Amino acid sequence: MRPTRRRLLAAGAATLAMPAIARAQQASITIAAYAGIFQDNYEPTVVEPFRRANPGIKVTYFSMGNSAQALGQLRAQKANPQVDCVMMDVSVAKAASDEGLFEAVDKASVPALADLSPRAFTPGVAAPAVTFDNLVMLYSPERVKPAPTSWKAFWDPKYKEQIAIAGVPDIVGLGFLMMANKTFGGDDYRKLDKGFEAVAKLAPSVLSWDPKPDAYTFITNGTASLGVGWNARGQLYSAQSNGKLAAVLPDEGSLFQINVLGLVKGSKQPDAARAFMNHALGAEAQAAFTERMFYAPVNLKAKVSAAALAKTAASPERMAQMLPVDWLEVAKFRESVTEQWRRRVLTRR
Amino acid sequence: MPIASRLALALLLPALLVNLAVFLVPMGNLALLSFQQASAGGALLGGFTFATWAKMFGDVFYAELVLDSVTIALSITALTLLCAYPIALFIYRTPERWKNLLIVACVSPLLVSAVVRTYGWMVILGDGGLVASILRGLGMVKPPRMVFNTTGVVIGLVEILMPYMILALIAGFGRLNASLEEAAASLGARPFTVFRRIVVPLTLPGIMLGCLLAFVLAVSSFITPKLLGGGRVFLLATEIYDQAIVTLNWPVAAALSLVVLVIFGIALLLYGRLSRAIA
Repeated sequence: MRPTRRRLLAAGAATLAMPAIARAQQASITIAAYAGIFQDNYEPTVVEPFRRANPGIKVTYFSMGNSAQALGQLRAQKANPQVDCVMMDVSVAKAASDEGLFEAVDKASVPALADLSPRAFTPGVAAPAVTFDNLVMLYSPERVKPAPTSWKAFWDPKYKEQIAIAGVPDIVGLGFLMMANKTFGGDDYRKLDKGFEAVAKLAPSVLSWDPKPDAYTFITNGTASLGVGWNARGQLYSAQSNGKLAAVLPDEGSLFQINVLGLVKGSKQPDAARAFMNHALGAEAQAAFTERMFYAPVNLKAKVSAAALAKTAASPERMAQMLPVDWLEVAKFRESVTEQWRRRVLTRR
Repeated sequence: MPIASRLALALLLPALLVNLAVFLVPMGNLALLSFQQASAGGALLGGFTFATWAKMFGDVFYAELVLDSVTIALSITALTLLCAYPIALFIYRTPERWKNLLIVACVSPLLVSAVVRTYGWMVILGDGGLVASILRGLGMVKPPRMVFNTTGVVIGLVEILMPYMILALIAGFGRLNASLEEAAASLGARPFTVFRRIVVPLTLPGIMLGCLLAFVLAVSSFITPKLLGGGRVFLLATEIYDQAIVTLNWPVAAALSLVVLVIFGIALLLYGRLSRAIA
């Protein structure tokens, strides 16, 4: 049968006449999420099972270095989006929501939303959480003995010039400042005076406020002995480091970082994109990714092994220690914190 | 219009259009972006406001940032010149058959990316690195910190910019003539006087070209200050990165980019004036 123009038109009309779900079966979607070790673990545990279950949907993983880059892509492609689902930090997602770059999703089209923790929904952000992570203290088990259990270890003169922390305005630095504030008696993370006092005293002991590529590498390769990082990466890298790196949740507690998964407004395959979101937020994918990379699941029905759960902050006793930080609140005073950081912390040598 | 100049115009047109499309239009966008309103969380709200520029002119931090960037870039340029000039002079005076080999040797560091070379400096200048070990071996109890501060950034950038400086210097040494130096010496000038009164004035075009190149590259350098600065050294390019990527304040990032452009313009203007003055 030769493809005449009439036949092509007929085929096209038939495709259009098919119900939406059936059309989604021959869709191609692009999801944008973090590059590197995140992609290495997210693709096999979450994306690959979705591809197997939906052979009609072609899923392209577009890797991004960070949330700001993702926001840049969404802004640049506003008129003609090339990405269907995007993962980013919740405070960046607020900016994207304010600019109308996300399409809201509901339980009717993404049933998995019904099983999510209430903390997965942030007012004003049109995208549900997909992973919870928390700030941890990183240390070198070879050089830091006994193993630290408190954020106060940073102020031990033994570790002078052996500390690597990504400083403010990075959210690691903001989080560390808030934990220092709590550790030294500040009871409100919006009033950071106690934190600033403590961190200013610490500043001359800090080797680098901008460890590149990251604090994990600085400790693994011996440049630094103490640092601050995120739990998921910390756990994974410490398992791979042959005892050169360890991550600990200090006694004073920690705070959460939230990544959200959003549906891009103007997506050409919204049904397929919703199907992917439903999968990524579903109990099975959530559990599989937690087992693999130790992000705490957002889905309350995710069945995670006790061993993996112990490496996340999801257990009830750990949850109780968490500083309840509203990142959208932080976004409002972040600029003044940055200014104070420059004046009060970076001037100290 | 004569045919020749019309032809010239026609031949220039494609390059002109490309420049318009890939340089002027994005620059215009950047300028517009710097007048957009942004929320505290980084959302672009559209509209038109002078708030960003008012804040930049009103905040001492930005004045210091520009001043620091220019000062550091100028000191890096001066140090690069000091390190590169003798090498360039030596290469210029070697016989032809060795000259090319030496030039290739000087330029070969460019075959390795600046990122890799910067990481190299992190190892060499680090606490357990080569330099600190030598200083300790010489009896210094506590060697000064040479990395994750301005010292590290200056050392790293001087090494990275030297190949450019050497090439620019050699290219500008055309007027240097051995017989003039011999004439000066035969009239009784000591070697240093010959250098000061004959060699330096004759090589000024090369010096100025090299300094312009090194300054422009230093003031816009990003990866070396980012890696060696340890979050303590604020330069224009690293601040633009922080504003665009970390705090999501695109209008401030756009405004700072335009400030860098203005600094380039001033540098070019000065270069033009000075090279006409010595010509």
